[in-house]
Amino acid sequence: MTTRAEFVARIRGEMARAAALFPAAPAERPARPRERLDVLRRELSERWPQTLDRFRVEFERVGGVFHRVASAAEVPALLERLCRERHARSVVTWAAPALGVDVAPALEAAGIGVETMPHGVPQDAERERLRERVARADVGVTGADLAIGETGTLVLRAAAGRPRTTSLLPPCHVAVFDRGALVETLEQVGIALEAWHDGPPAPGRGAVINFITGPSRTADIELTLTRGVHGPKEVHAVFVDEGLRVTDGE
Amino acid sequence: MTAPRSAALMITCLADVFYPEVGERIVRLLRRLGVTVTLPPGQTCCGLPLFNSGYHAEARRVARRTTALFADAEAVVVPSGSCAWMVKHEYPGLLADTPQAAAARRLADRTYEFSQYLVRELGRTRFDAAVTGRVAYHDSCHLLRGLHESESPRTLLGNLEGVEVVDLPGADECCGFGGSFSVRLPEVSTAILDRKLASVEASGASCVVACDAGCLMQMQGGLRRRGSAVRALHLAELLAGEQGERR
Amino acid sequence: MSEPLVTTPLRERAQAALGDRFLHEALDIATTKFIGLRREAFSGFPQGEALRDRARAIKEATLQRLDHHLERLVDNVERLGGHVHFATTADEARDIIVAIARRTGARMAVKSKSMATEEIHLNDALAAAGVTPVETDLGEYIIQLAHERPSHIIAPAIHKTRGQVAELFTRELGREAPPDPEVLTRIAREELREKFLQADLGITGANFAVAETGTVVLVTNEGNGRMVTSLPRVHVAVMGVEKVVPSMTDLMVFLGVLAKSATGQKLSVYTTLVQGPRRPAELEGPEELHLVLLDNGRIAQIAGTLREALACLRCGACLNVCPVYREIGGHAYGYTYPGPIGILLTAMLNGPRSVKELSHASSLCGACADACPVRIDIPRMLVELRKEVAERGIAPRRERVVFAMLARVLAHPALYRLAVRMVRMAQRALLREGRAPRLAFLGEWTRTRDLPVAAARSFQERWAALERDGR
Repeated sequence: MTTRAEFVARIRGEMARAAALFPAAPAERPARPRERLDVLRRELSERWPQTLDRFRVEFERVGGVFHRVASAAEVPALLERLCRERHARSVVTWAAPALGVDVAPALEAAGIGVETMPHGVPQDAERERLRERVARADVGVTGADLAIGETGTLVLRAAAGRPRTTSLLPPCHVAVFDRGALVETLEQVGIALEAWHDGPPAPGRGAVINFITGPSRTADIELTLTRGVHGPKEVHAVFVDEGLRVTDGE
Repeated sequence: MTAPRSAALMITCLADVFYPEVGERIVRLLRRLGVTVTLPPGQTCCGLPLFNSGYHAEARRVARRTTALFADAEAVVVPSGSCAWMVKHEYPGLLADTPQAAAARRLADRTYEFSQYLVRELGRTRFDAAVTGRVAYHDSCHLLRGLHESESPRTLLGNLEGVEVVDLPGADECCGFGGSFSVRLPEVSTAILDRKLASVEASGASCVVACDAGCLMQMQGGLRRRGSAVRALHLAELLAGEQGERR
Repeated sequence: MSEPLVTTPLRERAQAALGDRFLHEALDIATTKFIGLRREAFSGFPQGEALRDRARAIKEATLQRLDHHLERLVDNVERLGGHVHFATTADEARDIIVAIARRTGARMAVKSKSMATEEIHLNDALAAAGVTPVETDLGEYIIQLAHERPSHIIAPAIHKTRGQVAELFTRELGREAPPDPEVLTRIAREELREKFLQADLGITGANFAVAETGTVVLVTNEGNGRMVTSLPRVHVAVMGVEKVVPSMTDLMVFLGVLAKSATGQKLSVYTTLVQGPRRPAELEGPEELHLVLLDNGRIAQIAGTLREALACLRCGACLNVCPVYREIGGHAYGYTYPGPIGILLTAMLNGPRSVKELSHASSLCGACADACPVRIDIPRMLVELRKEVAERGIAPRRERVVFAMLARVLAHPALYRLAVRMVRMAQRALLREGRAPRLAFLGEWTRTRDLPVAAARSFQERWAALERDGR
């Protein structure tokens, strides 16, 4: 088996024999990414309505369904309506501290089963059960770290209490977000990514970041577009005007 | 008034053998524009067929000879985009490590495809039409992508009275010639040609115009085999004398 | 040498493809659509050209310090708890992955689409080791059922009509499947859902890996990439070494052009950034992450003629615009990677002999270079490959003789003039109504096209008179 040293040595050997095709440099990275991100956020907060408009256009263009509510208090009712429309019987959701709103009481009162994702990591048997529940759920409710105007994309960082499959296994995914998540361009996302990776990872941080641009799709058969292949068939983005009080610290 | 110009004609092997009348038209046209036309004698080929098939040492020999032939030319006019491309794009590299490196670069700088020479060098864009009716323009690959030229031929055609330039979907798509490709994989070459000719015939054009002898051979060959009434013509065949344009 | 040399002549394979009516229809639909989608995406994207230049520059810059970036990548993946393996050959890569599968005790592996795993023929090795590979990308699922290989880099089953897929599902799955893409997709989703949840091992490729953070990046549309990297206990990612990018900032440049070039989307539905196995605080995710770095002929091109081809993002844009690919489809190329870039990759993986004919499966029109998001000059390298084939004596003897003759004729004006006269005489003797009998290449041309008639006097022969007129 080739060792790391052998592999890299071979590469070095070829590099020594090679001529550069032309002078070239990688992209310039922000020197202090976290500061840069703070500055960016302040700038963006001044033009969030335009960014939101752009996001809505692009999100709808890729088949997302956009909603806007004045306050977090209106989110449960919206969810209840979505569930009723789809005859949804079970919902899986991130917990209230992760979402910034508690959706469970209202849904349960409406007779819809709700499974809330735990913050800690339970024993194997419980994890199995949770996975089953997520796999059989009709609707998955999450937050979103970023909403990208340029592309209509939601960015979700996995973390404690913010598992991956909530936005993947149920056929309907609902993401709630507020103006703090809005960014305009992919380039700005780059700044966020640099900042998020600057310094040691926070203890609750997960090992995956998902960019979600609309419902899952394929065009593998005659290039005919069909939605809802393995991932969700529907993606809803709910913008909360007054903001969400996310308190799980992730 | 522009200073008196002279241009050496690089006739190209295909035009020499199969389309000499195109060469004649170009010579007469340039003369009427006040250009003195010379023909360095003993021309053979730019070497592209050798180069494209990977015979670079052989192509280099031909390139050396051609470079020497045109050493004294003020400008070199070529009726084929692919040959002009070969000289401009590949000669400097091919001859880089030879005593003719500088001469090859100079030649590359002074070489023009025919429509480029008329429009960009001489600034002459208005001619009388030698052929009228509906015309479709086919972008030959080396002229379009190699020499980044798609405007000059269209400008010339657009200014011809009595000529209606029709839209040709897929004008920038290959005709399937590709030099030896046309006989190495003749069925594929023909399938590509069929697609091109279907577009030409659907366009309603009575002729398809190109600035490359290879494309013309290919398209003409297919049109004639089909018994089509559509003709494949070199751009020069549509240009009669100049409309009295003042510069 | 990664794949055995294909022995049927390319021309025959091309002819078979040309005669396939279904294929022709499917190819026409697919490539035309792809071309339109890409055009639309870039027409509304004025920064596109600058971004393509930047993407090209980053790829070249990365190669210039590849050792450094790879070492950073390895360090970071390991820091995150992942394992990195180094495979010089396809054989080695297979062995590594089979060993991981064995240790996992997996009996089934779910796979997300990966051309790298196709390249090393991984599925055969897994099956032989008693691990059932299950392709989950719809296109790959289809061709797996059909026992075929992908015919396009990003749309593996594009050569199949809906009717053919329906027949296939009906036959192989034992359930009634109508020729409706919606229904067929739903059937695939149902069939595969359980597999995702049961599998112990998930295998993917990687579109990029970010050196500074140890991140493996997957660009997908269906969601199977996310399933495969989150549900099974072990995740194996196979990646060519050239896919490493220095930083997250660099990554965004590529994400800005990749999906647009491939399918016309601004971004694919899912871009998944995987940073090691699951963290202790996470509910879900694999316990083990293995990154298999693949050489298989790539490293040798750092100093080779195909260096530029190492920039390839595997977007498939060059296939869609290639006049040859559009007529013959992917299988006729005979190797894992079809289309213009496929010829270069075939040479990279299998050596110049494998492209003796393939290097000529091109009219050198340049549409591929135009479409390439990282501006790879494919025609230039095709000519380099042809040169290698000619200079190494791989080209057929007959051809070398013909070109040697041609070279002499073109180097000597007297021979040239003689040749011109001979062409004229031959045409008079042989051509009947523009057709010639089977005389070497003349017959090849004239079977489908008329030949122009050599003029009674060539241009150079007329010059003396022309010159007189000019005075």
